[in-house]
Amino acid sequence: MKASDWLAAHPAEAVTVSPEASLPEAAALFLEHPEVRDIYVVDAEGRVCGHLGFRRLAGLLLAHLRPTHSRRQLVERVVGGSVREHMDDHVLVMRPDERISEVFHHHMERRVEAIPVVDGERRLLGVIRIADLLRKAINRY
Amino acid sequence: MEILLIGILLLAGLAFGTLGSHYFGVPRVVGYILIGMLFSPDLLGDYLGLDAARWTQPLVAIALGIVAYLIGGAATVGQLRRLGVSIITATVGKVTGAFLLVFAGFVWLGVGVPDLPGWGVPLVLAALATITAPAAIVAIIHQYRARGPLTTALLGMVAMDDALGVVIFSVVLALLAADGVVSALPLVVWEIVAALVIGGIGGWLIERISRLLHEHELRLVALVGAIILLVGLAEAWHFSGLLAAMTLGFTARWFGGSHAERLFEPVEQLEEMVFVLFFTFAGLYFDLSVAVEHGWLILLFFMLRAAGQVVGSWIGARLGGAPPAIANNVGLGMLPQGGVAVGMALMLEGQPRFAEMATLAINIITASTLLTESIGALAARFGLQRAGELDMANGGQHAGQQGRRNGDEGK
Repeated sequence: MKASDWLAAHPAEAVTVSPEASLPEAAALFLEHPEVRDIYVVDAEGRVCGHLGFRRLAGLLLAHLRPTHSRRQLVERVVGGSVREHMDDHVLVMRPDERISEVFHHHMERRVEAIPVVDGERRLLGVIRIADLLRKAINRY
Repeated sequence: MEILLIGILLLAGLAFGTLGSHYFGVPRVVGYILIGMLFSPDLLGDYLGLDAARWTQPLVAIALGIVAYLIGGAATVGQLRRLGVSIITATVGKVTGAFLLVFAGFVWLGVGVPDLPGWGVPLVLAALATITAPAAIVAIIHQYRARGPLTTALLGMVAMDDALGVVIFSVVLALLAADGVVSALPLVVWEIVAALVIGGIGGWLIERISRLLHEHELRLVALVGAIILLVGLAEAWHFSGLLAAMTLGFTARWFGGSHAERLFEPVEQLEEMVFVLFFTFAGLYFDLSVAVEHGWLILLFFMLRAAGQVVGSWIGARLGGAPPAIANNVGLGMLPQGGVAVGMALMLEGQPRFAEMATLAINIITASTLLTESIGALAARFGLQRAGELDMANGGQHAGQQGRRNGDEGK
């Protein structure tokens, strides 16, 4: 099935945040949408420029609860920073005409729970939630 | 036989370390070192016909390359700027203080070996004295739920100071590899410049390549492959592999922009294995007779390093404008010394010019690491308490239990 067909049948809105937002602001978005585990960072023109996952954000904000840190995590804990500094700027996106079966594996490897679908200018058209794919798969049985 | 021993060292070290930590509350590194000692030439090693010096070196070089890569990638330039002036100056002061005091003390005592100039052994020991173990400090902070400006300063300093230590150690080795200071200069320039250039190009390349690799497993192969290739090139072309691997990490992080997890998380998972290898290998080389004969040198090294760190970080922190609560206590929190210093001391064994001093250095560093396990942890706790940053009411109750569970000190 193509991404555009899936979005038409299973519309799901993406949660977005500005790159200049603080980490607590991003966390508040996750708490407002408990089903969401991936938020997308969009620039002033609405183009996707980054991704921030729930586990990554929770790891940053709850660092004081961890008994061990790598050096990289130590520095992150000390300096904090905005969403821009902690987002993944190499976002794996999907085009509307791509088939889900062709790109699903790559997204699973990135440990995300939703696949962003974007137009030619990287503006978000929606997301394909892996939970929805799973729901459809088990309904076949 | 060597492959069998590596397997035994890893598994027995892990078992001894975790059991010792769980039942007796001692840091895991103690168990690692004890298992290594069991297989040393004085005990089972001789019976098994093993010459540790011969086969451990390639593993030590690769393992140090991995750690250096992680040290280099600890921070971006932007993060370094935001760390704050006082953390940077205190780190520089701490490293400088430990280096100068250990160097001066051992020169004054005239400790040396025939293959090196009179200042050779003091210089190497001084370079090794600059390293600190972050895990021990993080464990204390976590145990006692410490929070405040001193805690923040300590966390920032332990993340950064090993980078300075790696640079100093690389320069010292390059200086001592040649005969005389004048003849050493071109060699030093080559060792450093080649390491920076080749490591830098490697960092750019590996960051580009990693963008094409979506699978975590494939990125791990690419990253470890790049580190090993770099260490191998350093050996073949005689530049500093340690500095090159650190530059690889730094530039990969630089070119990687935000979110460097994909470049470092796969390698970070190897760090514990690297430290098990370092500490068990250190145990293999540990010679009780050398440690007893040079016990006063071990004690002196420990005291000079501690004094240098306390004074140096005080001066650095005050110059950076830190308040007295930070300046007076920050040096006390930086005493633990661990795996990186042990790994560097082990590396000396593989270099003919340093072979004679390697046993002494490994024994001093291993024994002083054991010393810092107890005294270093107490000093860190004392400093944090004096600064009023320990939550004794909540953290203290769980400290013993938590310590047994963590057992991470010394890495």
